[in-house]
Parts: sequence; C-alpha cells; structure tokens
Amino acid sequence: MTATLMRNWLPAIVILALGLALPFLVAGNYQLRLATLVWIYAVLGMGFNMLFGFAGQLSLGQQAFFAIGAYAFALAQIHLGLSLPLAALTGLAVCALVSILVGLPVLRMRTHYLAMATLMFAMVVHDVALRWTDVTGGTSGLRVPPPHLFGDRLERIEVYYLIMALATVVFLLQVFVKSTHLGRALEAVKTDESAAMSLGVNVTYYKLGVFVLAASVAGVAGMAYAMVSRGVDPSYSGIGMVINLLTLAVIGGLGTRIGPFFGAALVILLPQFLAGLQEYQTLLYGVALLLFMIFLPGGLAGLIERPAMKAPEQDTPSERPGRLGSEAR
Amino acid sequence: MVTEARLDILGILVLSGLTNGSVYALVGLSLALTYGASRVINFAQGEFVMLGALATVLFVTTVALPMLVSIPLVLVICAMVGLMLERFAYRPLVARNAPPLTVMIGTLACASIMVGAALLVWGPNQYFVPNAFSLDGITVAGITSTPQQLAIIASFAILMLLIWLLLYRTTFGLAIRAVGIDPEVSKLMGIRAERVVSFAFVFSAVIGGLAGILVGPLLGGHVSMGVVLTIKGFMAVILGGMGSPFAAAAGGLAIGLLEATVAFYGNSLYAEPIIFGLILLTLIVRPAGLLGEWEAMRR
Repeated sequence: MTATLMRNWLPAIVILALGLALPFLVAGNYQLRLATLVWIYAVLGMGFNMLFGFAGQLSLGQQAFFAIGAYAFALAQIHLGLSLPLAALTGLAVCALVSILVGLPVLRMRTHYLAMATLMFAMVVHDVALRWTDVTGGTSGLRVPPPHLFGDRLERIEVYYLIMALATVVFLLQVFVKSTHLGRALEAVKTDESAAMSLGVNVTYYKLGVFVLAASVAGVAGMAYAMVSRGVDPSYSGIGMVINLLTLAVIGGLGTRIGPFFGAALVILLPQFLAGLQEYQTLLYGVALLLFMIFLPGGLAGLIERPAMKAPEQDTPSERPGRLGSEAR
Repeated sequence: MVTEARLDILGILVLSGLTNGSVYALVGLSLALTYGASRVINFAQGEFVMLGALATVLFVTTVALPMLVSIPLVLVICAMVGLMLERFAYRPLVARNAPPLTVMIGTLACASIMVGAALLVWGPNQYFVPNAFSLDGITVAGITSTPQQLAIIASFAILMLLIWLLLYRTTFGLAIRAVGIDPEVSKLMGIRAERVVSFAFVFSAVIGGLAGILVGPLLGGHVSMGVVLTIKGFMAVILGGMGSPFAAAAGGLAIGLLEATVAFYGNSLYAEPIIFGLILLTLIVRPAGLLGEWEAMRR
C-alpha cells in the first residue's frame, strides 16, 4: 500500500519540487521562459492525455482550443478591457461553449472519423484566424498586454509560479479523474462503448464531459502561452502544434500521470540542445514519434509508473479485481 | 446574351471543380484502397502528392531531364517511399499489436518525417512545377480550359477504369477485395494478405505521385502542401463512404464542385467552414457516408 502510494506520487512530488527550485537554478530570462513553456506544454499534454489516454477519444483538434482560448483571452483584454482573471474566465467559458457546440455532433463519430473531423475543425479555426483580419489581426496576430494581477505588474518569476500552479491544479484534476469512478467509466468507454452502455455508463455524457474538459485545459494552456509570448497568432492552431502535441504525448507516455511532464520537457528542451539542428526539427520529431511508438509504447513515464498506468491499447492489469483496490485508494 | 454568359461561368465552375475534385478523388480513393486492405488511414497520403510535385521539380528543372524520363523516375521514388512506409512504420506497429488508431498516429509521424526530409532537400520555398501538358488556354464549345486541366480529369477517368478492371476483373483484385472483407479468413483461403497490404501502400503512393505531377503546375510545389490534400482526401472518403474507392472518388468530385461553387457565389473566406459544416451534417444524417456502407459504425 505504502509502496504503491510512493510509486504513484513520488515522481510527481520530485517533479514539483524540481519545478519550485527551477527559477533559482536557471540562468537568465530565456531559460526561465523555456521552463515556463515546459509547464504550458505539460498542461496541453495533460488535456490530450485525459481525452485520448484515459477515454480513447482521438482528437486532432486540441490546438484549435489552444488558439480559441488564446484569442478570446487577448480580445477580452484588448476590446473589453477586462482584467487578467476575468479575461481568463472569458477564455475558459468560450472554450467550454465552443467545445460543447462542436463536441455534440462530432462525438457521434468514432476512431478515424473523430480524429479527422476534429482536425478539420482545427483547420477551419486556423483559416478563420488567418483570414478574419479585422478581429484576429491576420498573419501577425494580436498583442497581449503585459500581465497584471490586482494592480501590480507580474514579474517573470511570478508568471512562472502562476503557470506552474496552474499545471499542478490540472495535474491534480487529472489524478482525480483517473482514480475515481470517472476514470473507470472513461476506461469502460475506451474499451467498448456498447459494453459500457450496457453497464449503465452514460457514454454520451462522459464523452462530451471529457471532451469539454480537455478543450478547456487546452484553452488554459493557450492563454498561458499567449500571456508568456505577449501575443497570439494563427500558428497556435497550426498543424505543427498537433505534431508537437502528439510527440509529447507519445514520448511522455499515453495514459500515464506524469508522462506529459516528461514529454513537454523533451519537446521544449531537445531543440535547444540541438540548436544547430533547428531545420531538422520536423524530421526528428517524426522519427522520435515513430521510434517511441514501435519500441517504447509506454513512453518515458511507462518506465517509471506502474504497469497499470501503461499505454491505453494494452489490457491494463487494473481491470483485474485484485489490483483495483490498491489503485482506487 | 446574359444566359450565355452564365453558361460560361457554369462551365468554368464545373471544369475547375472537376480539376480540383479529381485530385481530391485520387487522394480519397488511395486512402480508401489502403484502408480497405489494412484498416488504417494513411495520414501520409497527401505527402505523396507533395513528393510527386517536388520530385518533378528536381528531375525536370534541377537535373534537366526530359519530362518523359522524369515521370517514371518520380513514380518509382514514390513507390519506394510507399514501400518504406509500409515496411518501417506499418509492419512493426502491426507486429506489436498496435490498434488502428495508433498505427494512424504512426503514419502521421511518417508524414512529419516526409515533410521534414523534403524541407532539407527543397527548403521552404514555393516552386514552379514544370507542366507535362501545355498551360495555354484552349477554347472548346465556348469554355476556356488548358490541356493540363483536361489531362488531370482524363487521367483520373483512366485511372478509375484501370482500378475497376484490377479490382473486378483480375484474380489479384478478388484477393484485394477478400482481404478488405476479412484478412484472417482470406489468409485461410491461401491469400497472402501481407502482399495485398504492401501492394495497397505502394499503389496508393504511386497514385499520389501521379496526382502531384498533374496538379503541381496548377497548385505550385511546396513542402507543406500535403496535409491539406490528406484532409481533403479524407473529406472525400467521409462524404462518399469508406467502403469502396469509387464512393470515395465520387465524394472527391463532389467536394471539388462544391468548393468551386461556394467560392464563386459565396465568400471564399467562408468556403472551408461551409464545406466543413456540410460534411458534418452529412455525417450526422448518414454516419457511413452518402454512398457508404456500415463501415463507420463498426469498431
């Protein structure tokens, strides 16, 4: 029991401790910015992880909500003059609303159809962001005012801790979803929708719920990204974003709790170490994605976490009644 | 006078719709062919169009080979890349019991690899793709067109005929259809299902390359042109139905025509959202596509 607890929580605690200490370890604003981006990507990854890793619903449209959140956040500050928290709430509400409107029809589809329909939706969002120049600012995008909270302008380090706190909240949310009845219902939906339905799981409700949750989390990541970059542009919803997201999700480990942190760190930091190889990035991401899928389907986190948390495709031992108890408590 | 002008416009719309539609149809039917054999949506399908267009630039413009020599070379390259995709991505993943969605993410990784490799070879520039047929306007029955445009539509028609002959008039075609229905049972019947899958990947890659050679001069060659075509091809598959390459091709033509019409009569800004909305509506009313089978409902 204690060993299980240790194994489940220790990696997360180590990561959080490292995160707390990080601003004192990095040199300069640029490195602090990178560290902030790692948390943002981890948030984005956790949203996708809940949707695909836990519930088996492959959406290739998460980057659309990333962009919608960011644009709504920017517009609320520019045109409505809202403060940071209110603008963030607006962005969150817009994301939730759009995801309900899109999710209701789209979630009637499964597997490939769902993946492609969500990707189409993202491309429409990308097109609109690119061409609706009056509102979105076209290719150059919008500028986001410097972050202020309760009248004070936030320092970079405060922004870092704010975003790290957000990532922690999303992480706890993810653990909550995974280890309560919600997680088991989603697992049932992932394994077999008809069987889940016959066991009394309201499939439509759970699918829509996790879709809206993932979209909102992606929106939060988008807002944080806009806040750090001081702007938003159409590349937020571009195809590169979904490649980044898939790479970080698969390399980190789908369906694991801490996978998104590993994946995000790798996706952000690796290109920095390979600075001269910038033009190889697309190629390298593709190769890494493929190699991990073939040789390490559990991702990096799969090496650490219990097998019960492994990749979604495999029959998880948590389905065995004996394991379930220690898992839930 | 007025009626004549409108007929003109209609003719141009239909022609440009059919031209783009043929390309979508070619991508769509190759997606459906691969899906039929392997139950996998090949996300790299549009990248073969990109490869076809840019390889034409390489051979004709850079190396200055004649068009007639270049075309077979381009197709051979596409076939080889298609085979590599099947050997190094599809097979290892399937051998490790990866479900179709995971394999699809694997093909997405391949698309990323192809774009990344193309970026190293060709860089991020837009290229003029040399045309196999003349781009000078010719006027037939009051409608102006180019031989290149007509060649696209004609090649599409010829390919459809060839594929129909292959699928329904040869023993190998029977094997392809059998694998499409049930790979396990077809293996028991002595069909080499792996060969059918290899063939589907290579054949689809060649069709993609051909589409690239044909449409390159009209679209221009760019490393990132593939994704849009994959999506359009998949929209064609959705609209027509996953069940047969011909339904997918019909879906492609329909999307081409729809696009031309919406862009002309409406606003080109909203053409994409409108088509997307229409396809979503189609999926809600008929989840298996307009001409589809029960495929979509199957897990």
